[in-house]
Amino acid sequence: MNHTPDFGGIAERLAELGHLAHETADSLQRDQISTEQLKLLLEVSRETLRGAVVLDLLREADHKRQENETFLRIGTKLSSMLNLDELLRTIIESLRQVVDYGAAGIFLINRETNQIEADFLLGYEKSDRQQLQRKFKDGVPIGEGIVGWVIQHSAPVVVPDVLQDKRYIWARDATRSEIAVPIIAGREIIGCLNLESNELGGFTEKDIEPLQTFASLVSVALERARFHRESIAKKRLEEELSIARRIQLSFLPTTMPQFEPYDLGGLNFPTLEVGGDYYDFIPITETDLGVAIGDVAGKGVGAAILMASFRASLRLESRSNYAISIILQKVNRFLCESNPPEQFVTAFYGVIDRRHHILTYSNAGHNPPFLVRNSQVIPLDTGGLLLGSFSDAEYEEARVHLYPGDIMIFYTDGVTEARNEQEEEFGVRRLLDLVQTYRDLGAMDMVRRISREVQHFESDAFTQDDLTISIVKVR
Amino acid sequence: MRLATERRGDILLIALKGKIMGGPESAQFHEQLKQAIARGERKVVLDLGGVEWMNSSGLGLLISGFTTLRNAGGEMKLAHSTDKIQSLLVITKLNTVFESHDTVEAAVKSF
Repeated sequence: MNHTPDFGGIAERLAELGHLAHETADSLQRDQISTEQLKLLLEVSRETLRGAVVLDLLREADHKRQENETFLRIGTKLSSMLNLDELLRTIIESLRQVVDYGAAGIFLINRETNQIEADFLLGYEKSDRQQLQRKFKDGVPIGEGIVGWVIQHSAPVVVPDVLQDKRYIWARDATRSEIAVPIIAGREIIGCLNLESNELGGFTEKDIEPLQTFASLVSVALERARFHRESIAKKRLEEELSIARRIQLSFLPTTMPQFEPYDLGGLNFPTLEVGGDYYDFIPITETDLGVAIGDVAGKGVGAAILMASFRASLRLESRSNYAISIILQKVNRFLCESNPPEQFVTAFYGVIDRRHHILTYSNAGHNPPFLVRNSQVIPLDTGGLLLGSFSDAEYEEARVHLYPGDIMIFYTDGVTEARNEQEEEFGVRRLLDLVQTYRDLGAMDMVRRISREVQHFESDAFTQDDLTISIVKVR
Repeated sequence: MRLATERRGDILLIALKGKIMGGPESAQFHEQLKQAIARGERKVVLDLGGVEWMNSSGLGLLISGFTTLRNAGGEMKLAHSTDKIQSLLVITKLNTVFESHDTVEAAVKSF
């Protein structure tokens, strides 16, 4: 940079020489100089002046080159920096090499309050800065002050004398003149880059262009920082969800218990990483097996936590000798104590006694499972209110005899409420037809085939609920 | 979800319209209800005639509205439930807790 020739100085000298040559040519008498000599002198004058113009252009070009070099340097620095404050400081400090200033500030619109806030300040005395930050603490409305004007009109402004400008809000004793340009991200104006000078007329229209380039650097830096922040938050959330998902997967049966002569199968397809569906086979004694299915309102981590408490409390109570109606009552109370009423679980819980081939069950507001016996369909809907909303709820239970060939299908509303492109619901009818179609397959294969058909039916536009099916066949 | 309120004597009529999916948008409903209770309202009819669709979180919104009002010594009744909502209420057995009427007029009269 130090080796750059002084284009400006040379150009000035050349211009002087050119004019001198021209004047000399003018002042000389015709007889004192030959026509050839006169022509030569005029040509020298013309070429010298042209040289001066060329040098002026060179000077401009060199200035641009310096600017570009500055931008390039900043660009390189930017790509290696992630700390936003550090980034903004680098940008604003480098700016000084192109446009000198006494103080600089970056002001951004807070999208929530729609007020302008001071986000980065450089060159303000401590007391000025505190004053300014106090002024901008609750934000300044768009349109107020020079900064506000620039944001409102999305246009740059040069103020040669701040005291003569009605828009000016005092911010710093030494300030005499000001320049401000909008900061634009995409098509949206997001804030303002503002410079203050201690001299009157410290800035000219010429400073607008380089300042705008710096404003776009600021915009890029902010965008990058936001992206970085969001990707970190997203990554953290993804990690959390995948941990939650792993925990939740460990709650679902991985292998079906052996419980002859009953054939068991079940699958769960969550829509989000973590879902609110649950099914379980709980071995209670040699002869008794608990069968459960549940659907937690909502999705995501909140639903998974509620599901985990439901499962823990059900598994705990299922090992007691209480009647099923009492077990559900206790689970309900537990959930009411630990969750707000709008967070609930619909669930079915039953126990199969294989000595006597009896299912005793209670249905707490869950889509009724069906017992399919030949062409007969028995909905298992005796029970009571959904769990977790009303602590005084009571539950009824029912007993059903089971016979060889009987098929019980348990499902969540993700099955029956799956919608196709015509917005038709999958419904109970289709589900029961499929049970008949695949009734000769093993329980697990039936579950696989039926869930595949539901997924096939479902239009991508509507996929929004978990899908869970389990089947118990009596051999 | 859209929400419109109207008064009928000493009864506050709240009409819910569109898709009721609970979640963040239920905040508006709860805010209205809280303000109504603070004003002294105790009788609320929820008009569900314009509800196109409701999921389990939407049911959660009805439940919390119902319990909020009951805890304040008031009552919330449903009116004009669509078949779909009615079947949800039957499955979840919420029909044993919520008082539900075919028309807004019937619900208003029942207080």
